[in-house]
Amino acid sequence: MAVDVRLDELSAWFGNHQAFADITFTVPERHVTAIIGPSGCGKSTLLRCINRMHEVVPRARHGGSVYLGREEIYGAHVDPVSVRRRVGMVFQRPNPFPTMSIYDNVAAGIKLNGVRHRKGELDGLVESSLQSAGLWNEVRNRLKKAAGDLSGGQQQRLCIAGAIAVEPQVLLMDAPASALDPQSTLRIEDLMAELKQQYTIVIVTHNMQQAARVADWTAFMTVLEEGEPGRLVEFDRTETIFTNPGNERTQAYVTGRFG
Amino acid sequence: MRLSFQQELDELEASVQDEGELVLRSLRGAIKALQAQDVELADEVIAFDDEIDRRFVGIEEGIQTLLARQTPVAVDLRLVLAMLHVNLHLERAGDYCVTIAKLVKLTQALEGDPTLIEGLEEVGGRAEEMLQVALASFAARDLDEAKRLVELDEHIDAANRRVVYDVLGIGGEPDRREWGLRMILVSRCLERIGDHAVDVGEQTAYIVTGEFREFTDASHPDAKLSS
Repeated sequence: MAVDVRLDELSAWFGNHQAFADITFTVPERHVTAIIGPSGCGKSTLLRCINRMHEVVPRARHGGSVYLGREEIYGAHVDPVSVRRRVGMVFQRPNPFPTMSIYDNVAAGIKLNGVRHRKGELDGLVESSLQSAGLWNEVRNRLKKAAGDLSGGQQQRLCIAGAIAVEPQVLLMDAPASALDPQSTLRIEDLMAELKQQYTIVIVTHNMQQAARVADWTAFMTVLEEGEPGRLVEFDRTETIFTNPGNERTQAYVTGRFG
Repeated sequence: MRLSFQQELDELEASVQDEGELVLRSLRGAIKALQAQDVELADEVIAFDDEIDRRFVGIEEGIQTLLARQTPVAVDLRLVLAMLHVNLHLERAGDYCVTIAKLVKLTQALEGDPTLIEGLEEVGGRAEEMLQVALASFAARDLDEAKRLVELDEHIDAANRRVVYDVLGIGGEPDRREWGLRMILVSRCLERIGDHAVDVGEQTAYIVTGEFREFTDASHPDAKLSS
């Protein structure tokens, strides 16, 4: 079941360096929300705070809260591994296990996460995940072939299949199409429009037009003064951000006059 | 493939066609109100314009969002720009129907001339036909059919001139003169609806050819689109 994601006064540090500060907004469930902003404003770090991957970096820490639905994911008794199972992530560069088969790449997440299954069920889960990721028809006859033989765009959709195979509630995407050609990029964008029927999606992108195309909601972050942490400038419906933003900095950024 | 973009584009175009249907309904209502001197129907036509206006604003907003979010190019860009124009032309045609309805109300106490009413029915029928041709040729991207609007425009212009000529012969009674003068305005409104239909046809030509040219130039009426 998809849930909304509420960020409450969220901040993050790497040692003494504060990446971003006091970010509060709610990502609505079953929608695509884009986080845009210039390099170094902390948007990827923010994404990694939503599935507790920020804390695996040495000396990294956070402040404030992140709620998945009603649950605070940084609560005292919350297992970070269970958070990462519920909040899947797709990275900038497709990162399948290249020598492992297409089938095993999808099955790996299910097995690693200890999802109980019978043999036939695993086949069904792999197939439905590949179908949801829009890859099934292209790979159904070569499931035992190495994932490294797939094109970049196919590999990225394989990673999406792996991420959704464990039935997460939220899908995080960190510039998922930035390493892909235009056609593969459009396929990923179409896929997001389909996946949002089932999942809450948060995407970080450097490509403003991509945010405009795929996101229902958009958050604009920036660094107001050099050396300062990134801050949330504006969060609104995407059409508002790109037609009539409420803040001059947002306007300057989306029109290409700054950043 | 940009599935959601294509879907948004299709929905916008369907909405433009719906707006055209609303304008046609309004036009038929205005002509009926005129024939029957039906003030209630005239009021309905006036109130119905709010629905056309709502559709107009919705299409404007949709186009704004589509341009901002989807950056259409090539034939998609031409379609979006054409819809921006067509939307305005249809809304204006709807406004002319309101003016006709208001003129029906203004002349309710005056005695009409049956021959002249018949002339107005002809102008109205031609305006309706032109709107239908404009909308259908836009939907089908049918350049030849769109160009046919030039010929239809000549017919509606001639019918309009006949109405004006008939009014001139109406005689000297003040009530009849007032009625006749107001009917010249009705005829002019119908003829202008025909002009907007021609403008819609020019937008069809723009989508198909990628070049914007007026079918006829009002200041050089003999210079018609050659190809």
